[in-house]
Amino acid sequence: MKLPKFLLLLFCVTLLSLTYVWQQTEIFRLAYAGQKNVNSYQELLDKNTVLKYNIDKEGSLIRIGNQVPASGEFELPESFRLVRLKVSQTKIVSYQARKQENLFARLFAIKQQAEAKTINP
Amino acid sequence: MHIVNHRRRIVTVYVFFFIGLLFCAFRLAYIQFFRANYLAGIARKQHSVALELEPRRGTIYDTNLKPQAVNISAYSLFANPKVLSRAEKNNLLKILPQILGADIDFLRERLLRNKSFVWLARKLTDDQVVAVRKLKIKGFDFIKETKRCYPNGYLLSHVLGFAGLDNNGLEGVELAFNQYLKGESGFALCLRDARQNKLEIWEKMSAPRDGYDLVLTIDEVVQYIAERELDKAFRQFNAQGASIIVMNPRTGEILAFANRPTYDLNEYAGASKESMRNRAICDLFEPGSVFKIVTASAALEERKVNENSRFFCENGAWNFGSHTLHDHQPHGWLTFSEVIEQSSNIGTVKVAQLLGPPLLHKYIKSYGFGAKTGLELHGEINGMNKDPRNWSKTSIGAVPIGQEVGVTALQLVAAVSVIANGGQLVKPYLVKEIRDQYGETVKYFSPAPVRRVISESTAARMRKILTKVIEQGTGKLAKPASFSAAGKTGTAQKLDPNGAYSHDKFVGSFIGFAPADNPQIAMVVTLDEPHPYYYGGVVSAPVFKNVAEDVLKYLNYNLNTE
Repeated sequence: MKLPKFLLLLFCVTLLSLTYVWQQTEIFRLAYAGQKNVNSYQELLDKNTVLKYNIDKEGSLIRIGNQVPASGEFELPESFRLVRLKVSQTKIVSYQARKQENLFARLFAIKQQAEAKTINP
Repeated sequence: MHIVNHRRRIVTVYVFFFIGLLFCAFRLAYIQFFRANYLAGIARKQHSVALELEPRRGTIYDTNLKPQAVNISAYSLFANPKVLSRAEKNNLLKILPQILGADIDFLRERLLRNKSFVWLARKLTDDQVVAVRKLKIKGFDFIKETKRCYPNGYLLSHVLGFAGLDNNGLEGVELAFNQYLKGESGFALCLRDARQNKLEIWEKMSAPRDGYDLVLTIDEVVQYIAERELDKAFRQFNAQGASIIVMNPRTGEILAFANRPTYDLNEYAGASKESMRNRAICDLFEPGSVFKIVTASAALEERKVNENSRFFCENGAWNFGSHTLHDHQPHGWLTFSEVIEQSSNIGTVKVAQLLGPPLLHKYIKSYGFGAKTGLELHGEINGMNKDPRNWSKTSIGAVPIGQEVGVTALQLVAAVSVIANGGQLVKPYLVKEIRDQYGETVKYFSPAPVRRVISESTAARMRKILTKVIEQGTGKLAKPASFSAAGKTGTAQKLDPNGAYSHDKFVGSFIGFAPADNPQIAMVVTLDEPHPYYYGGVVSAPVFKNVAEDVLKYLNYNLNTE
């Protein structure tokens, strides 16, 4: 075999070998990157599951029932996702009485605390 | 001379190298042909790892697809005690019990084992994982597992049951449908690097098959209403136990199913056996007067009586064989309808005498007493329905009023549904559908009529009689405010350990359905040993009323049509 031919062969073999090694390192580099992504994805997925579970837990009727204790004014309205608190008659009367106060009295009266309104009262 | 010596040297070196080369060639051939498998095996072990891929356990939903049992990820802590020194172990024993909430003796025993792998705690909370990680202990690591969680805590506990640490169902639906929920594990052979870190390069992989999801017939809201009211009565009357079942009388779909005492599914390990017992299907009790619906409907069906047939009720006491039969209130002449309304024992026994034991037994059997209903849960009992050949002379004075027979609450709700739905016995069931992870139905459970027990006309007549029980009889406290209902009260004496009927231990029960003319729900409520009140019409009937009112409102039943 002539020297140039031998050198060419040697070059090709070396190139092929280097390509193979590069390919292998690339596979592992991608595997590490993939692993990192999989871990992040899995972590997000786990967090999502826990979040959903906590939402279900917080929204469970048992918990709502415990939050609205023995007053007996807890009723289930048409949509079970909503909780309706019955407004007692005395509160309605006092609210209406306040509405009827004149403007002057309302302007100079000491303000009451903010009042949360229930859904579908 | 000089040249000759030089050539010899060259030959010697050549021979030396040739022998060396020959040795290498032989060694290479030996390794290649004889040691290849062994060495390749070692290499494989070093750069690959076999993993079991855990399947996702199926979710359990209620009928509106609200999740009742779900999986969340949890980390389990393991240790390699061989890499820990004695001093390190002693230090750890001072800190770990507080973090893990585990017994110090348990941890000591684990850490002193001469093994490379020991579990220290399974399925820890996030806070515990963070606390352990902060310690940075060599030889400690975590494995990710899934943990079964129940968002509603104790709601539906006796139906759902629970799954253990290895995700196998141990109670309830979790056990009964474990084969569907569990799924199948997969296996994978994946590469790992020089630091033994797992890489996402799979050599071989068999993917796991996730467990199927279950859709129950239970409605979470109906269940909540039923449990809330049962709980109130259970506490108010200091009962030993209580059960409630709400069922669709036409289909057999169970909408609510609860027992008291109960337990939190997320903390089942600390629950007592008493609270875990599914009383509604495992406890046998003499039903008492609620059983009169069987005697009455049989007598109507066999045309032995009509609503206006008159019976003399002996003014409250009647010597029957060697026993004296009593009514809770003395009555003279009553019509058949009034006998049931006023729950007269004497009148009912007189009706039963017209039927005779074989015919009465035939109807008891036909109503499903003495046999399992076939509910999917484990542990259901048959109940007790003696063959008439084994009846004593006084049995005809006991069986028609619900003594000498043993029933379960589930059998009672199935029986009252016969009257509600027009005479058909239907099989109660809890699971409506099994779905795969994509929501496709794998198996569907449809209503299963068992047999016709009474004719439609007899059922209609019975409905009228049972409506009067609530309107003007013993079940007045079960009367809902805005619609009609039908039902029957029952107060049964329990047996003392000596075999005699107790005078202070009773089972107060109520069976009924609503609305009376177009039944949407059938219900049974039982309270075991309530105090100080014990009449079914006092302790159980109000539970029926409250549940029926709220449930029909929730089910959007048009109450104005009444």
